[in-house]
Amino acid sequence: MNALRDKYAIVGTGKSRLGQVGENSLSLLEEAIKNALDEAGLTSKEVDGLVVRGPDDVYSHHQLIAARLGIDVDFSTSLDNGGASQILSLILAVMAIEAGLASVVVCGYGRDSWTRTHQKGKGIAENSLIPAAQRPREHGPEFGHFGAVSQHAFGARRHMFEYGTTRDDFAAIAMAFREHALRNPDAMMKKSLSLEDYQRARLIVDPFGLFDCSLNTDGAGAVVVTSTERAKSLRQRPVLIKGFATHNNTKGWILGDHMLSTGAVESGARAFRMAGLGPKDVDTAQIYDCFTYMVLTQLEDYGFCKKGEGGAFARSGALRLDGVLPCNTSGGQLSEAHVEGMLQIVEGARQLQGVYGPDRQVPDAEIALISGHGGNQVCHSTLILGRA
Amino acid sequence: MPEYKKPIPVPSAEAQPYWDGLRDRKLLMPRCDACGKYWFPPSLLCPHCNATKWTWASTSGHGRIFSYVVYHRVYHPGFADEVPYAVAVIELDEGPRMISNVIGIAPDKLACDMRVEVVYQPITETITLPKFKPAAV
Repeated sequence: MNALRDKYAIVGTGKSRLGQVGENSLSLLEEAIKNALDEAGLTSKEVDGLVVRGPDDVYSHHQLIAARLGIDVDFSTSLDNGGASQILSLILAVMAIEAGLASVVVCGYGRDSWTRTHQKGKGIAENSLIPAAQRPREHGPEFGHFGAVSQHAFGARRHMFEYGTTRDDFAAIAMAFREHALRNPDAMMKKSLSLEDYQRARLIVDPFGLFDCSLNTDGAGAVVVTSTERAKSLRQRPVLIKGFATHNNTKGWILGDHMLSTGAVESGARAFRMAGLGPKDVDTAQIYDCFTYMVLTQLEDYGFCKKGEGGAFARSGALRLDGVLPCNTSGGQLSEAHVEGMLQIVEGARQLQGVYGPDRQVPDAEIALISGHGGNQVCHSTLILGRA
Repeated sequence: MPEYKKPIPVPSAEAQPYWDGLRDRKLLMPRCDACGKYWFPPSLLCPHCNATKWTWASTSGHGRIFSYVVYHRVYHPGFADEVPYAVAVIELDEGPRMISNVIGIAPDKLACDMRVEVVYQPITETITLPKFKPAAV
């Protein structure tokens, strides 16, 4: 058995307000951390590790957050793996505690994307989430190629070509998550989504329309990680960290078959091995859903269905709360809020704590799989949690 | 000629020979002297075998559309009059993949694996863009 399996646990989870909040990313993260510490029954004075992330132009995020919390910390850093960072923050927390570098680590992510993109009197470039110095200046923008939507849409198009996947397959994913969001009072999206709504919505970058794209959010999430031994004396029922892994297709998203076969293939297989589990053992999946297609391909890559069958799997109702694999039960980034995967860790943990009412709880959930994906579409991480 | 309002590439030092080649209507790619493979964008080592000796080599300018998307949203004012327009991942016959536009065909007629060939489109005295059109059969 893997020596780290079940040795560490999540002992508190927290969210900030979500949506069009109008606070900066640091304030939102501070709010989420406060909520996570309260849930754990801890104060910031007991925190000796901090691994966080925020907007790419906020330098030394972790130092600013620690200062706000009024703490010196033995272990702290900020991460740079895009949407794969948030699971990586938990992995670093476990590694740091295992190495004796810290004992209670707060992991978190905060963003103020909605506010940044709605500044009055500023043009689209000034409102960009990517700092000017980091934007490509050749081999892309001259062709009118900008950013993440179209990069992922390349993958969707090739998948449609190779496997006969359709936009209605993507719709099944968007609709299932929207149904979940309607049961989640925190979710930004409050209206139901029909197939007709999906089909009628404007195209953004074809094959993606409006409802294939995740939300623009101000918000934050945080979790507290410590040893399962230490967790025994804390307030909450802990959630066991059973397995984790990362894999980065850093050769490039447009190379090889990376846009069809994500890092979930490798990070999933290794996380399952660490946990001693397989796809059939998973009771709920919280899949990184920056775009509908990314859910479809990751479900295939994890082995929840065969390659090329993700569309049929989604259309079968598998992802709904009463399906074989309740997926993104909070509404996910498509319908709850886009906090770069942090809220999916929170949701996975809470499903295993069994905190929800019957309208929103996955019955008898014992194992949750959570995925993280991002950077330049190439970084991937997997986390497998278990009920204590 | 109307003012050019789209982003004008700012060549990196390592890609300058690529842009110089385009100005002369040549699509050059790095090719490894040791293993003979091509790659793009340029880097100091061959990413296939890590050899340090390589050459800017001519390509046929022919390839296929590996994937493509059609922009409906305007992300930059320079493209306001162009939507919907196609952006593609082009795979050259020599192997490298690159981002470009496919022109001379309606976006809804495009398909993955369609054969294409390079078209040179000068936009300034020093910068010429490599775009692609359906290959002559």
